[in-house]
Amino acid sequence: MGKGLIVLIGFLMTATLGSCGYNDLQGLDEDTKAAWSEVVNQYQRRADLIPNLVATVKGYAAHEKETLEGVVEARAKATSVQITPETLKDPVAFEQYQKVQAGLTSALGRLIAVAENYPNLKADQNFRDLQSQLEGTENRITVARKRYIDRVAEFNKMVRYFPTNLTAKFMLHMDEKPNFTVADEKAVAKPPEVKFN
Amino acid sequence: MSRVWRTPARLIVLLGLLLHPSYLAALDVPPLTGRVVDLAHVLPAQDTQQLSDQLKVHEENTGNQVAVLILPSLEGEPLEEFSHRVATTWKLGRKGTDNGVLLLIALKERKLRIEVGYGLEGTLTDLRSARIIRQEIVPRFKAGNIPEGVRAGTDAILKTIEGTYQAADDAQRPPSVDSNAFESVVIGIVVGFMAGLILSQGLRRARALLGAVLSFMVAQAASVLWGLAAAGATALLLWLVLGTVGGQQRRRRSDDWAWYSTGGGGWSGGSSGGGFSGGGGDFGGGGASGDW
Repeated sequence: MGKGLIVLIGFLMTATLGSCGYNDLQGLDEDTKAAWSEVVNQYQRRADLIPNLVATVKGYAAHEKETLEGVVEARAKATSVQITPETLKDPVAFEQYQKVQAGLTSALGRLIAVAENYPNLKADQNFRDLQSQLEGTENRITVARKRYIDRVAEFNKMVRYFPTNLTAKFMLHMDEKPNFTVADEKAVAKPPEVKFN
Repeated sequence: MSRVWRTPARLIVLLGLLLHPSYLAALDVPPLTGRVVDLAHVLPAQDTQQLSDQLKVHEENTGNQVAVLILPSLEGEPLEEFSHRVATTWKLGRKGTDNGVLLLIALKERKLRIEVGYGLEGTLTDLRSARIIRQEIVPRFKAGNIPEGVRAGTDAILKTIEGTYQAADDAQRPPSVDSNAFESVVIGIVVGFMAGLILSQGLRRARALLGAVLSFMVAQAASVLWGLAAAGATALLLWLVLGTVGGQQRRRRSDDWAWYSTGGGGWSGGSSGGGFSGGGGDFGGGGASGDW
């Protein structure tokens, strides 16, 4: 009886220790960071396409000043927000980043909508190329965001569930990571309909 | 008594199953039945076969997994989302290399997409995918010729990856695929040879078995790297090395095992038609969409 009990306790202790989640939390932390850098990369890629896009549109629709300037401003705002590894630990900074990127998404949406009214612009090879690159990047952003959201959800679950929350709090000092409120911001940020009679 | 309860119970269970959320959920990813999955039956059997063979040869030469899916309808699913779901479920392309491509066509919505895996995004860029759609596929689709559009599109995709596609105004960089294949063969042979030498020095009893297992594993690895020929060469080399060092009995057993490993290597190397399955590749959302 005594021996068996000790063995049982030993087994239970090992099992619980194994499930305390130390390695799992570390792993998920890394996964989340990787997913986050993918998101940041794709947003950067998008920002890089914009100067060319603005220049091309200007060539055909120079008097659409408001829209063009809107995009340039939004891009400046988006690229001015500093992204550091600390952003993932700071919900305010994260929110800020999300905001400026969403702003750029709507500004771009307006620009593309306006471009629809210029058939010569639409037929321009350069514009078409930029448009397909932009669409590709937007799609990648969506995928990267979705993946980030999934990773963070997994991580946050571990941080909150018992007993891994104890490991997170006392051993690793890890807290919940901020998450995007929306997976597909493009679907939510619908550009206003621009119609000319 | 039990009979009275059986029928209504069955009905209830049936109703429960029918009303289960999964039946009302999003469109299911169709099973990967081959390299060309034509659920709308628009391609004549000959075309499907030809296309399949072309894609198979491309995979054997480059390791890239390109597949075509033709749907009657997306049933309300957004194109990009569904396309990404199919590509990641089918896992086209090798794990780590992520060299997969999916050409998806939805007939009812008149939409199509080229979904490109991470590994091929550099060669089959968003821009090039968009151009292929615009220049090769859509004009033919608009003219009502779906099979021709699919053929031309696939052709353009393969040529773009191989670096031989002649677009209107595009400078292509030829990818260095051939050097990789050659290296793999050399590595396979060297590893096989060394393994054989080591084993012939080693433990006596387990030698034949170890030799067999190792040659099988090496053959598998080699075949993953470069198909039948490398696997056969590696296994043969191992057999020769093992066979020449030692007696009659051992030679005979090595004989059997070498045959098994060549057979094994052959099996995994020749993934013909019905044996097509994804290699674990991943997709990041690259590619382009279009409509007609």
